[in-house]
Amino acid sequence: MLTTPRMIAIALCAALNFAVGSIVYLIKLPLYLDSIGTILCALLIYPDRRAAFVCSFLAAMISTVITTLFINPFLIWFSATELALALVAAYFIADAEEIFRARPLPMLRFGLRVVLYGILTGVVSAVVSAPVVAYVFGGVTGSGSAFLVAFFLKAGQHLMAAVLHSGFTAEPIDKTLQVLFAALLFRATPKDFIDMVRARPQPAPT
Amino acid sequence: MTPNGAIVFTLVVVLAAMMSRMSGLIVLYLLCTLFAVIEVGPNATAALRRAVILMVPLAAFMVLVWVGVVGRAPADIAASQPGSRVSALVYVSIVCARLFLIVAIVQIAAMRFAAITPLQFIQLLRAPIALKRLGVLTLSLIETLLQAVDRAHTALIASGVITRRLSARNVFNGWVLVQTVWLTAITSVTGRMRDKWPMEHTLKLLDPLLAEKRKDPLRTPDKIWISCAAVAVVGIVWGDFYGLP
Repeated sequence: MLTTPRMIAIALCAALNFAVGSIVYLIKLPLYLDSIGTILCALLIYPDRRAAFVCSFLAAMISTVITTLFINPFLIWFSATELALALVAAYFIADAEEIFRARPLPMLRFGLRVVLYGILTGVVSAVVSAPVVAYVFGGVTGSGSAFLVAFFLKAGQHLMAAVLHSGFTAEPIDKTLQVLFAALLFRATPKDFIDMVRARPQPAPT
Repeated sequence: MTPNGAIVFTLVVVLAAMMSRMSGLIVLYLLCTLFAVIEVGPNATAALRRAVILMVPLAAFMVLVWVGVVGRAPADIAASQPGSRVSALVYVSIVCARLFLIVAIVQIAAMRFAAITPLQFIQLLRAPIALKRLGVLTLSLIETLLQAVDRAHTALIASGVITRRLSARNVFNGWVLVQTVWLTAITSVTGRMRDKWPMEHTLKLLDPLLAEKRKDPLRTPDKIWISCAAVAVVGIVWGDFYGLP
């Protein structure tokens, strides 16, 4: 499953997650944008869904560990969210790979898929990460979305409800942007590279 | 101490921190201080400085949100009581004390291996060879990506697509930079995979370098520290059962 081109794809996608996620965390945008590489990895390795899931989860975990050590020490708590994201990327988003690479670009179908998968990913990650945000961090993780939590708490909601509502507000927007960026990068990736990554490992000669 | 021992010890301390109240946190702070003094020595101050640098912005952010904006603790909200900024501050202090301990122990454990390179760290780690190879490739490609960022950034500034300072042009054309970096990195690694690595037998040379050299995954100091952390966990659970604060 882990051929050299796939390992390269995993490493590149992990580096992409790390680079973009760190910039967004440091400038305190109410977004995360730290899973573009995870989604892109699943798109690159599809149609082998199991390999796509394993590789995109590995890319997510490597970038999470590196970001935890150097930039944001709390990201490791969201490993379950990364697992859910990798599942959604491999089993849902990757289905749209033909539309994402179609030339000329089918604007309507492309846009609809991006929004649909963005909302789906956003809802899933909001639900999975809410208990961690509420019970480990008391609702404030250091990203800009904490202001949304504060807004809902100020409106009288309980902590868990405030975190969930904040997640449902911010995550679909964030994840739609992530799916869009991943789709555009996938579109720009040379076919040669995709063919190399998708090639199945050759059995050893007998 | 081995990398595996440090990882297990850190995980046990982090789990214990998540379960503990104030008394448990005090025990864990003492254990981590001992670990820092015995295992890391003077370098521990650098780890603590780094933990403070990482934690202070989050603590300030928490104070701003909970004390400044919300003005009461979650328990007050759950009980539909008016609450006070003091109770919010107490809540933030406990959460921050717990999070600081977690950040500090990760930094201290990382500092234990400051004298060796990341490649040597991966070499010493007891893990599946594919995972170790992946770690080495990622470290190498992060360098490649950073160089690609430098080159693409300079080229796009020279061509007037983006600017050196904050500007509206950067917001609209920032995407071009990301795309350029991605394509530069892809071109570079495709070349390496097709020509450079097969010619130089890079991957074949990597495997013996990463192969296991020791049979036992943990050494005596690892076992002692892990046992201490486990005893602390038992103490915390016992204290919790008997209602210690």
